[in-house]
Amino acid sequence: MAKLDSEYTIPDLAPELQRGPTWLQSRRQTLREKFNDLPLPPRGLHLWRYTDPSKFMQAQTAEASATGSRFADLIEQERKHLSESHLAGLVTDFAGRDIKALGVEKLAAKGVVITALSDAVESHLDLVEKHLYGLIGSEMGKFEAMNGALWNDGIFVYVPDNTTVEQPLHLLRESGGAGSAQFPRLLVVVGRNAELTIIDEYGGGSADKKADPAYSNGAVEIYGLEDSRTRYVSLQRNEAATNSYLTHRAKIASGASMLTVPLAFGGALSKQNFGVILNGPGAESNMYGMLFGSGRQHFDNHTLHHHAAGKTHSNIDIKVVLRDKAISAYTGLIRIDETAQTCEAYQENRNLLLSSGTKAETIPELEILNEDVSCSHGATVGPIDPIQLFYLMCRGIQLEAAQRMIVSGFVVPTLNRVPQDMRERITRFVDTRLENV
Amino acid sequence: MSEQQGLLEIKDIHISVEDKEVVKGVSLTIGRGEVHAIMGPNGSGKSSLSNGLMGHPSYKITRGEAKLGGKSLLDMASDERSRAGLFLAFQYPVAIPGVTVANFMRSAVLSHRGKDADMSDFRKLFKKEMSDLGVDASFATRYLNDGFSGGEKKRIEILQMSMLQPSMAILDETDSGLDIDALKTVSEGINRYHNDQNGVLLVTHYQRLLNYVKPDFVHVMMDGRLVKSGGAELALKLEDQGYEWVENELGLKAGV
Ligand SMILES: Nc1ncnc2c1ncn2[C@@H]1O[C@H](COP(=O)(O)OP(=O)(O)OP(=O)(O)O)[C@@H](O)[C@H]1O
Ligand SMILES: [Mg+2]
Repeated sequence: MAKLDSEYTIPDLAPELQRGPTWLQSRRQTLREKFNDLPLPPRGLHLWRYTDPSKFMQAQTAEASATGSRFADLIEQERKHLSESHLAGLVTDFAGRDIKALGVEKLAAKGVVITALSDAVESHLDLVEKHLYGLIGSEMGKFEAMNGALWNDGIFVYVPDNTTVEQPLHLLRESGGAGSAQFPRLLVVVGRNAELTIIDEYGGGSADKKADPAYSNGAVEIYGLEDSRTRYVSLQRNEAATNSYLTHRAKIASGASMLTVPLAFGGALSKQNFGVILNGPGAESNMYGMLFGSGRQHFDNHTLHHHAAGKTHSNIDIKVVLRDKAISAYTGLIRIDETAQTCEAYQENRNLLLSSGTKAETIPELEILNEDVSCSHGATVGPIDPIQLFYLMCRGIQLEAAQRMIVSGFVVPTLNRVPQDMRERITRFVDTRLENV
Repeated sequence: MSEQQGLLEIKDIHISVEDKEVVKGVSLTIGRGEVHAIMGPNGSGKSSLSNGLMGHPSYKITRGEAKLGGKSLLDMASDERSRAGLFLAFQYPVAIPGVTVANFMRSAVLSHRGKDADMSDFRKLFKKEMSDLGVDASFATRYLNDGFSGGEKKRIEILQMSMLQPSMAILDETDSGLDIDALKTVSEGINRYHNDQNGVLLVTHYQRLLNYVKPDFVHVMMDGRLVKSGGAELALKLEDQGYEWVENELGLKAGV
């Protein structure tokens, strides 16, 4: 059985714990102990009110069914993009274990490193040791500790100072089938005045609702050094019987900008936590996200903007569309430290409910410890405006088409905030999902 | 005017809003090639009648009959009414953020022409109608009615009418909110559209629109009913003297 009981502890001889150099093994041991010490989060605990944590108690199984790549077509297409230079590189990741980097030679000449984390712990020891677990380590929760102890292999990306990676880097993560568990991990360091775009796509898993679900527990750490410009798209389009947990943390230094685009479309259960720490004056973070749920899909999303320095600017715009009996809970925390004067922070979460059986919660949280800030948040939850629908139908447009237009109109302004070159890629995913709304 | 069969035939229509009856038995026949005008005090039910005919979800037709070209409208959903040839230019057009005017217009025209229709002429037609109505080309990529001024919204309503070429157009206070030049442009648009095969029903408070678009019939609506009908001269008299004389003549009380 792949599913664990709530008392499960990671044995100290788990094979993953022996991976990597000694310093890494000892970090893994610390995280293992952390995981074992922490109880399953009680349902009253912050961020656990809406989701049953026992769904994430599933450990790596030796027999995790490797179904091979369901992304064969996509990989083929991306190879073409690589050869036409529309893509900086392609990294495939099967089950958080099998990492392959394609087409990265050209970038290597510029000093850009795109490689398996297991290689990087040797080849780029200093960088990895300095940054790994720096943002998602033992101070976080049980499931972050679980990934930290049990990740098998991950992806490491480093862009040297003053280097621009012009085309996006595509990471394709595929989960194994029913009953499998994976702990994908990503570490990114974007150097001073460097520039990088990543599309981090998670898919696969199990489609078989009668079997044990597939489970993915991911961790993404991104460092944007002074004046760097990073754009990160997280696309979750797992198969229907897949439970996923993802924690993302980025830290950006003075003058750096970070664009985060969380897109969640798939899976049975998806709990994601995106956070950016604005750590130096002039840092700017924007998060423009979208989530579509149907059937009985369950989404639990959290965002954090932590202003740890003054003169920083953050903005969040998350759109949620739900149909059938889908559920979404969104908790958005803005934290502004006492010493972080003259900050601006905005947050908006709008939820469009297409069926009466859907449920959406939206909870803004503000921890603002000084007066010199400009901060606002807004949230709406509601069905399609019948008057808008009427207006479109009055011009001859049929009900379903009119609904689709309104839903598309609901997300388009958010989509339009994403820079043009990225928008084209994202629009494709969004359109495909919209066809089923 | 012509004694041919009516294009729009309304018989004893009653309309309720939130269980309150606001249209209390209206009968009206509009023939092909005719222009009618309805005038009446605020709150007399003019927009309720227009919205009810178009199938607005808040305006429930509780009694009566309405036919367009012999086909009953009341069993049809709003989109079917539109495709059957009915058009309403709204007094207060709603904004639909995220949907561009061009995309919306294309979908609307496509729905009228049918799924597999040739749309190769759309762009050119759309451009021409925009320029004829003095709508700046930049409006094509703006979100529908989102942040448009009152007058801009009205022009866009008439633009839609020109694109869809309905057989029966109801224009609810299309003249209000228009500046003097816009009134002229929009009126010219209505006159270009109007021919001996279609009908126009103007809902208005002012004679100035009727100077440009000449009505064959003028009706006065009060308290949910058409209480008086006449020719173009009736509008002039209303403009001059207000509604009090009508009330007196009919023994009605003013207001609600
Ligand atoms: N959506 C609504 N909800 C509640 N009452 C309404 C609604 N729409 C109309 N009414 C009421 O119905 C009556 C008729 O309103 P209607 O808008 O049809 O008048 P009108 O003749 O178009 O007025 P105006 O000249 O001011 O546009 C009014 O008493 C109005 O308050
Ligand atoms: Mg009115």
